[in-house]
Amino acid sequence: MKTGERRYIRSQSSPGAAFALLVLILNFFLLTSFDAYAEQDVRGKAESLLKDATALFEEGSTDKAIGLAGEAVKADPGYSESYDRLGYMLLKAGKNDEAINAFEAALKINPQHRTSKTGKGLALLQKGDATGAEVVLKDALLLNPYPSMTHYALGLVYEKMNNYEQAVLQFKEGIRTFKSGKR
Amino acid sequence: MRHNLEKVKTFAMQAVLAVVGAVIIFFASTATARALLQMGAPAPEFSLKDLDGKDVNPAQFSANKGVVVLFWATWSSNSPKALRKFEAFYRKYKERGIQVIGINADNQAISSGDLEKVKKLAQELDITFPLLLDKGLKTFHDFSIIALPSTIVISEGKISYELAGLPLVGTEDMFDFLLALAGDPPRKKPEPEYMPRHDAIADAGLARGFVKKKRYGTAYPLFRKAIEKDPRFILAYVELARLCETEGKNAEAEDVLKKALLAAPENVVAQSELGYLMTKAGRLKDAIDLLDKAAKVDSYPPSHYYLAYAFGVSGQLKEALNAFDQAVSLNPYEPEIYLLRAEVYEKNNMLKESSADYRKALELILKIKG
Repeated sequence: MKTGERRYIRSQSSPGAAFALLVLILNFFLLTSFDAYAEQDVRGKAESLLKDATALFEEGSTDKAIGLAGEAVKADPGYSESYDRLGYMLLKAGKNDEAINAFEAALKINPQHRTSKTGKGLALLQKGDATGAEVVLKDALLLNPYPSMTHYALGLVYEKMNNYEQAVLQFKEGIRTFKSGKR
Repeated sequence: MRHNLEKVKTFAMQAVLAVVGAVIIFFASTATARALLQMGAPAPEFSLKDLDGKDVNPAQFSANKGVVVLFWATWSSNSPKALRKFEAFYRKYKERGIQVIGINADNQAISSGDLEKVKKLAQELDITFPLLLDKGLKTFHDFSIIALPSTIVISEGKISYELAGLPLVGTEDMFDFLLALAGDPPRKKPEPEYMPRHDAIADAGLARGFVKKKRYGTAYPLFRKAIEKDPRFILAYVELARLCETEGKNAEAEDVLKKALLAAPENVVAQSELGYLMTKAGRLKDAIDLLDKAAKVDSYPPSHYYLAYAFGVSGQLKEALNAFDQAVSLNPYEPEIYLLRAEVYEKNNMLKESSADYRKALELILKIKG
């Protein structure tokens, strides 16, 4: 085939191909937009449920809060924040193993989730596993750019171990990081 | 052994439960510095629930000549006395334009047990003015309260009087002020009242905003401008000194406070802050003399814990702990008390006690509640 012929064929087939391409792009655009909207809708629902759950939790209705946070998890299983908050609520209810599962689920989605590691450490401490808690909380300190609360938790671990020298160091570090703005 | 293990487990459980309920609210570290130096400043706005769940705010009483806000707690030994005094005053002067509001500060998180105690005391004392509940102690912090009980008088939207604790002389002066506000002749001739210049208050307010945003360079000249406009405006000196201290310029901070004392030699806030800086610089004898003088006036609670700290640093542990206890009984929500006591314990190698106090300070700073 000569170059001129090729050019002719291309120009001949061009309106149909362009149309097909346009339809394809439109379809893609519509589908991805729909997906994005659906995703946003799902995330929005989870966020709203989580907001209500947090309000209930702060009022002291822990069981109801756990129920709603569980619904938030179901509404958007890819949202790590729901698992994290659910973990803290379960922790308050004394359901340590369930809390650990929730924190681990949050960390699976977002390994950098800065409060989930601290939550897991607290759950281990509450279970009586101070050594396990120490390891997890030290790891959390590496992840956490706002470490005051993690230092506080680690201080609790050392108090439990009767290691007051280390406890003092951790609490002081918590205060220092808070004052320097690394809350 | 088993008993000990259970005890340890219970402690861990309580501590963890406390952190689970943590709510972190950032608050200004200069709250203590502002205390007792707020006259003329706009009163912070608030709206709180009374014991029946109704919302109450001072704006409801804007037609009044003055609104007295009494911060109190059931555990504070002087609070029932203060409530009684204000109830008697309220019954006599409510028709003359003086409104009294009591704000309870029993706890950061008010439990049903706390609420019962508040209601019981209100009933016992037959309190008829509104008693409000300060959830999270936000209003307590907004007003820079440093002791319980504490009284703030608001007139025309501004703070016109403030009193920490219930000192003998100070309380009489405050009631004289209230009598004059209600239109009665005071029991003794009042001293001419000093009110800072408005433009100086505005400059200091702006500077405070920049401090909060950590724009220290912009804050310095504004504080200095406030002082230039009103050399008797001690708050500007104290906040400027705090800023210098934050940036490690302790000698400069001392100079600022010395200038404040030249303008107002008997000002206990400036005396106390200077005494604290002198303690940190190791000039313990001078510091203790100055702080002792300020603490005897008994109108600025930090003077007690600064004095306690100075005693502690100079090796007088027993005196230090007594003075710290007194400071805690006035305001158990002040993290600085626990921080300084922790440091004293640490110096004395009492690490268990030191750890408990650092923990308590951090809990208060992070607003950790159970």
